[in-house]
Amino acid sequence: MQFALPPRRNLDAPLHGRSSRLSLQRRKQLKAAAILGFALLVIYFLLSQLFYSSTGTPAAPAGTPSLVIVTVLDRARWSRDYIQRITKNRDDYAKRHGYTNFFANLTDYEPTLDNAPRSWSVVPAVRHAMASHPHSKYFFYLDAHALIMNPSKSLESHLLQRSHLDSLMLKDVPVVPPDSIIKTFSHLQPQDVDLILTADNEDLSSGCFVIRQGDFAQTFLDIWFDPLYRGYNFAKAEVHALDHIVQWHPTILARLALVPQRTINAYSKDSSGAGVDGNYKDGDLVIRLFGCDTDTKRSCEKEMEPYYRLWSKTIEK
Amino acid sequence: MSLSRSPSPHPVGGGWSSPGLTPGSGTSTPHSGFLSPNPLGPSGISWATAKAKSDEVRGYPSFSTRNNGFFSRSKRQISATLPSFRVSSRLPNGYIDKDEFGRARPFSTGGGWRFFCFGRTMLRRRRLRFLLALILVVVGYTFFWTSFIEHYRRSSFGGGSKFVIILESNVEGGVMELKGAREWAVERNSVKNKQRYAQQWGYELEVVNMLAKKRYSHEWRESWEKVDIIRETMRKYPNAEWFWWVDLNTWIMEYSYSLQDHIFNRLGEVAYRDINVYNPLNISHPPTGAYLDDVSRSPVGNGDPSSIQMVLSQDCGGFSLGSFFLRRSVWTERLLDIWWDPVMYEQKHMEWEHKEQDALEYLYTNEPWIRSHVGFLPQRHMNSYPPGACGDGNNPDIHFVEGDGDFMVNMAGCNLGRDCWAELYGYREYSNRINRTWRERMQDQAKELYDKFFGKKKEEETPQE
Repeated sequence: MQFALPPRRNLDAPLHGRSSRLSLQRRKQLKAAAILGFALLVIYFLLSQLFYSSTGTPAAPAGTPSLVIVTVLDRARWSRDYIQRITKNRDDYAKRHGYTNFFANLTDYEPTLDNAPRSWSVVPAVRHAMASHPHSKYFFYLDAHALIMNPSKSLESHLLQRSHLDSLMLKDVPVVPPDSIIKTFSHLQPQDVDLILTADNEDLSSGCFVIRQGDFAQTFLDIWFDPLYRGYNFAKAEVHALDHIVQWHPTILARLALVPQRTINAYSKDSSGAGVDGNYKDGDLVIRLFGCDTDTKRSCEKEMEPYYRLWSKTIEK
Repeated sequence: MSLSRSPSPHPVGGGWSSPGLTPGSGTSTPHSGFLSPNPLGPSGISWATAKAKSDEVRGYPSFSTRNNGFFSRSKRQISATLPSFRVSSRLPNGYIDKDEFGRARPFSTGGGWRFFCFGRTMLRRRRLRFLLALILVVVGYTFFWTSFIEHYRRSSFGGGSKFVIILESNVEGGVMELKGAREWAVERNSVKNKQRYAQQWGYELEVVNMLAKKRYSHEWRESWEKVDIIRETMRKYPNAEWFWWVDLNTWIMEYSYSLQDHIFNRLGEVAYRDINVYNPLNISHPPTGAYLDDVSRSPVGNGDPSSIQMVLSQDCGGFSLGSFFLRRSVWTERLLDIWWDPVMYEQKHMEWEHKEQDALEYLYTNEPWIRSHVGFLPQRHMNSYPPGACGDGNNPDIHFVEGDGDFMVNMAGCNLGRDCWAELYGYREYSNRINRTWRERMQDQAKELYDKFFGKKKEEETPQE
């Protein structure tokens, strides 16, 4: 080629003008390509962020109670006075800690029960509470024949805090007492726990448990409420169904924490069948008059009387 | 060459020619001089090769010394008009010493090459490069393109490894009945069919052995093997997302449909979640319990296609598990866990004839958490039936229709009194025909034309398209 060499820009340029010009050009091209690539990456990133942010879960509205106490009341059979005591006890506790109460009517669920024992109503009641409080995180089912005796203890500090739950969880113990070959998982982490149960000396307890809102809760409650379980004539109805589910279905067991009975489910001294160290002692959160409704010789109202008076004195302080 | 094999020398101009026998040997075969560059060895020197060799030394090829084509004839004129860019060892003005040329390229071809020779310019180089690139591209395309595409699809970019096809085989193998030639043929062909499809799209194929095992039969849980196998497969492919269970007696008709395009990229459009759209079991839907949440009571779950964890289709009798998809998720784990329950099965094992299929129908009906994550596809989208299953073939919602692009045929129930192999064979042939490459198509068309003109009637050729 007979073109003249381009004038030198500076004196430092190497003598071989041809090659330096080429590399300069190449460098420019590279720079342009790099900038273009970077710009594309940025645009892609921004766009993906934009679309990603649109699929978040909606935040809970302000003032949502973190925990809902679920109680099933049989307004057809129990005296108004008795029901009032139960509700008063729970209302006070809820007010202290910012919880809320969900009092379910047993009669609401009777059509769905299909002649299964009434005790099955615990399952639809909890599901009902979850549907009515979709943003609350925890649901504490408490049997009606029970009183909260130590209202100053919040459930968070007492049970739900991770570190606390971790220390309370019973790992690698037979999940159904006394000697089930299925044992609770030894590597369970508190953040994986969706269901907190206790056991007395015979069975898991369906009268007092904490369950976390979410897919697991729906699955678990729907399985528990399956018509084939309700119709199976388990000797202890929903309690035995619960024992069965937990032992046969590892996806349920994997989400379950067993805690010592007295944590949320201390039995009164009249109740039989408390587990080891399961009877009520002063300062326990809850006392349950377990079996007072099924045993014809016992009367729930009479048994509750002294404990209710004790509780009234506590809150007046 | 057939001539060289003949025992006796051929009289006219064959491979055995010798100077005495061949008249006019000065114009003897051009290729014998050009195609045998090396002497045949001390013993095998023929006259022709010797001549060629001497030609080569003298630089005059035995033929085409004069007037060998346009370029050499008008070489002078052309080269005179062309600008000469470089001066090489050659003489100026494009003149080439024939001796030198002959020595440099003793066996090169004629004039065309000579023309290119003096054009060693930038232009020519570029052209050459371009040509080379073109050749590379063509060769690459013909030989490597398919495997490249397959590799791409298999890679994480292509997304093919997100899908695993689970194909059952050896159903109740060896225990319930002996397998004959037809059973083997069904199995072999069905596996090949899925292999081809999986390879084309980069999916994983897991052929599972459904050998009858005692551990399932003694608990009345024969068909729950399926559940265990799906679980095992999920463990085996930890990065896959969708698992497609396919029965053995099935045939994928359209290899060109990818699962992504055919189903999952438009799951929201193709799948229906409200079972009332087609409800052969008369399941009352949606659930009405007042205690249920809004999503459970909604006929379409939460309405978001991404919440669908199981995709299946319904036939005339309810759910069809001959072909269904499960997505890896916590939901699926729970479903697989609850699918077999001893208390339920103890009560129902006499009733649940179709085992896990009936159990799933039961669970779907009675447990709302399952409903809100199941999506149904219209049956022919992935599970067309042949005539004989669900009626004799005239229901356009159920039965395979030729030429309508059905994705897969499931010869459901063919082992109950129908001929699995005959059906499978028929669909295999049909799918081979509709999946011909363009070359095969051309060939077939040419053949057809030929047959038409020359009157040969071929009975299996039926008109296409």
